[in-house]
Amino acid sequence: MRWLSRSYLALVYLLLYVPIVVLVVFSFNDSRTGYNWGGLSLRWYESLFNNHAMVQAMWNSLWLALTAATVSTMIGALTAVALHRYRFRGKRVLNGMLFVVMMSPEIVLAISLLGLFLLLGLKLGYVSLLLAHVTFCLPFVVITVLARLAGFDERLPEAARDLGASDFTMTRTVLIPVIMPALMAGWLLGFTLSMDDVVVSTFVSGPSYEILPLRIYSMVRVGLKPEVNALGTLLLVFSLVMLMVSQWILSRSKQ
Amino acid sequence: MMRSIKQQPFRAVVLVLVWGWLLFLVLAPNMLVVGASVMTRDPSTFISLPLNLDAYRQLFNPLYLEVFLHSLYMAAMTTLICLLIGYPFAWALSRVEKRRQMLLIFLLIVPFWTNSLVRTYALKLILATNGLLNSALMSLGVIDEPAQLLYTEGAVIVGLVYLLLPFMILPLYSVFEDLRQDVLLASHDLGAGRFATFKNVVVPLTLPGALAGVMLVLLPAMGLFFVPDILGGSRNLLVGNVIKNQFLDARNWPFGAAASIVLTLTMALLMFAHRLSKRRLGEEGA
Amino acid sequence: MKKLALAGLLVLGLTGCSSDDPQVLNLYNWSEYMPQEVLTRFEDETGIKVVYTTYDSNEAMYARLKLLDESAAYDLAVPSTYYVSKMRNEGLLLPIDRSKISGFEQLDSELTGLDIDPDNQYSVPYLWGTTGIGVDTADIEGEPVTAWEDLWDERFKGRVNLTNDMREVFHMSLRVLGYSGNSTDPQQIEAAYEKLTELMPSVRTFNSDAPRMPFLEGEADVGMIWNGEAVMGKDSMETLEYVYPEEGVIAWLDSFVIPKNAKNPEAAHKFISFVLQPEIAALISEDIGYATPVLSARDLLGDEVAGDRASYPAPEDMVNAEFQTDIGDEVLQVYAKYWEKLKSGL
Repeated sequence: MRWLSRSYLALVYLLLYVPIVVLVVFSFNDSRTGYNWGGLSLRWYESLFNNHAMVQAMWNSLWLALTAATVSTMIGALTAVALHRYRFRGKRVLNGMLFVVMMSPEIVLAISLLGLFLLLGLKLGYVSLLLAHVTFCLPFVVITVLARLAGFDERLPEAARDLGASDFTMTRTVLIPVIMPALMAGWLLGFTLSMDDVVVSTFVSGPSYEILPLRIYSMVRVGLKPEVNALGTLLLVFSLVMLMVSQWILSRSKQ
Repeated sequence: MMRSIKQQPFRAVVLVLVWGWLLFLVLAPNMLVVGASVMTRDPSTFISLPLNLDAYRQLFNPLYLEVFLHSLYMAAMTTLICLLIGYPFAWALSRVEKRRQMLLIFLLIVPFWTNSLVRTYALKLILATNGLLNSALMSLGVIDEPAQLLYTEGAVIVGLVYLLLPFMILPLYSVFEDLRQDVLLASHDLGAGRFATFKNVVVPLTLPGALAGVMLVLLPAMGLFFVPDILGGSRNLLVGNVIKNQFLDARNWPFGAAASIVLTLTMALLMFAHRLSKRRLGEEGA
Repeated sequence: MKKLALAGLLVLGLTGCSSDDPQVLNLYNWSEYMPQEVLTRFEDETGIKVVYTTYDSNEAMYARLKLLDESAAYDLAVPSTYYVSKMRNEGLLLPIDRSKISGFEQLDSELTGLDIDPDNQYSVPYLWGTTGIGVDTADIEGEPVTAWEDLWDERFKGRVNLTNDMREVFHMSLRVLGYSGNSTDPQQIEAAYEKLTELMPSVRTFNSDAPRMPFLEGEADVGMIWNGEAVMGKDSMETLEYVYPEEGVIAWLDSFVIPKNAKNPEAAHKFISFVLQPEIAALISEDIGYATPVLSARDLLGDEVAGDRASYPAPEDMVNAEFQTDIGDEVLQVYAKYWEKLKSGL
């Protein structure tokens, strides 16, 4: 029974990782056609970096993900704190709305935001992308931070208040250090969601701000492009490095 | 709850910010979609008066109804397969030693950190006629001729399962984590057989997790339009493709909006079921 | 103060990265429809950066321009034949200042002054081509493919590629039934749809990003393809042949237009002139396999290209050929309804 369940786990992991391994291996494949092995080569990495539009889109995406994750972490953290500490009218509604945003299919969010931006006459570009990305990242940050707050000793803020700290000071000196790991986790989640989003971005982006997922989309639709393998490998390495750095910071902060 | 005056501004700022954001970027846009769905298609301004229910009537046109049912079928198959793979997987995972569990969860999430388009594309490399799977099967002598795997309904479902499986496993894992060994033992001691324990104890206790997983898989499985584009040869469309086409190609906004409201209603239904299952569990536990 | 800083950060975030460099040309074009070399040379010569965005159907291009409206910063687009007249009639285009265009007189007079834009006030021809049948001769047995009707043949079950273009697919089916490819008669359209449902079990994929790809990938053996794609595909797959079907090919002319909300029409004019240079026009035609309307460029083409009937058809190839025309929005809706149903894979 035990070995059965172990081998089942192994099998599923194998299936999950086969496409990724294929991707990484084929990114070093010299062959043009993409199916057969033509020897080791870095030519696809080279051609990737020579593609200016691609590099520009990569920078745009990084900046967008960075700002979207930061803004949503700030707003999300504040929301979580408010939900945790204050009792106010409509709290349940607020909670429910965040849950709805998290659950709603991206495409619904996408068209609704598109409608709003058009109605407002907002130019589709960086700003519209940022607003959209922050919106779909927000609930994830809130949930992450709320989970952390649930295990938080309520006497700490009380003590701070007794010592004469204002709400704001207390938040800065007591609360933020406590929820720091959750903030980082939420930020990372937001960053990834933003870097990966195709559905919402398809609707709310404009020609003035091209981002990576849409570039990739137009490339993979055309057919087999070995550059995509190279790009995918780079993105994988990048997010692994980010994950490890965050783990490292977290383990240091615990000490 | 009492607060001194000087503490109020912080709270007020936070609440205004959050409420403002949600009202402005969630509620208002969704109202716009509802509004658009009852308006009339207009070739030059997208939508115009008069108000009517034509878009909804169009949804029930047998032509489109079939499209929706087919899309729903693919999403349902995806969800079912995820559940069948994910349920035993989450159970097995929760039985592994604690120390290893963290690593295994980490490994489960890593693929999720790689761009989903790129992963879908990698599946294409595997499923293509000249692709790896066909080559492997042929060299093993299982098949003589390459099988048609890419650009089929099956390919779309495989793609969706691959992208969404972690979303089924994680909530299931968390309910299995809470499923205490002593409950199972108690059931056993009371004379219940393995199957009876599974049916009467394990299933009800893990139902909220399963429903959460269904919700997290079924809804995206109806919306991820890029999967049929890449793996389905622009056939085997999802509701997401229909909505996207109505907004970005055919310019029939009322119809696209109505279709998206169907998705929202499906979501509401699932959320309701989820709440119900949790509540029932709470009452029985109490 | 901290709050102010926060607000400042937000504002910074919102405005920090606008790339409103005036010397940018936003080119909105079909996938793989302009060699990278041309863009690079244009950038080197003029210092204007080209941002190249792609679409895979006229409908998508048109809808996006309408949608973005004033925020559509596209300076150049390349609609096919009937979309030029549609966009012109709807006031979506800026007139082209002929005095800023050099090389217009070099254009094939048969391709200028067409009904779609009688004085070429709004459009300048870029390339022209046809949609015919692509055949991977290595993979098919039996009678050679000569007509659209052959796609319905049992032996091609699951091996057919169609373009992901509503009008083209219906055009083909209408021609098989003996109707005009520009039919506006709902009954004929429905008949064409019925005919297409018989074809669906044979259809492997719809592809308008690069219709040669399903052939190269081994997914399709026969099907609709643009002539240039067939020529490009032949480079990596010797056995890919382009066939002019008996019922007649679908002919089209893709033209440069300047959308009304262009931010840099000046650069757009420069780009058009750049592409009309015989040397550049020849380079494009050789690289992507479509026929250039620039007459003086044809002399610069190698024999292999100029003599390739796929790129430059002989008169007998164009018998029964039909250009697509604007059929009006209402009829388009009829097509669209059947199209969606067809593609849902039922």
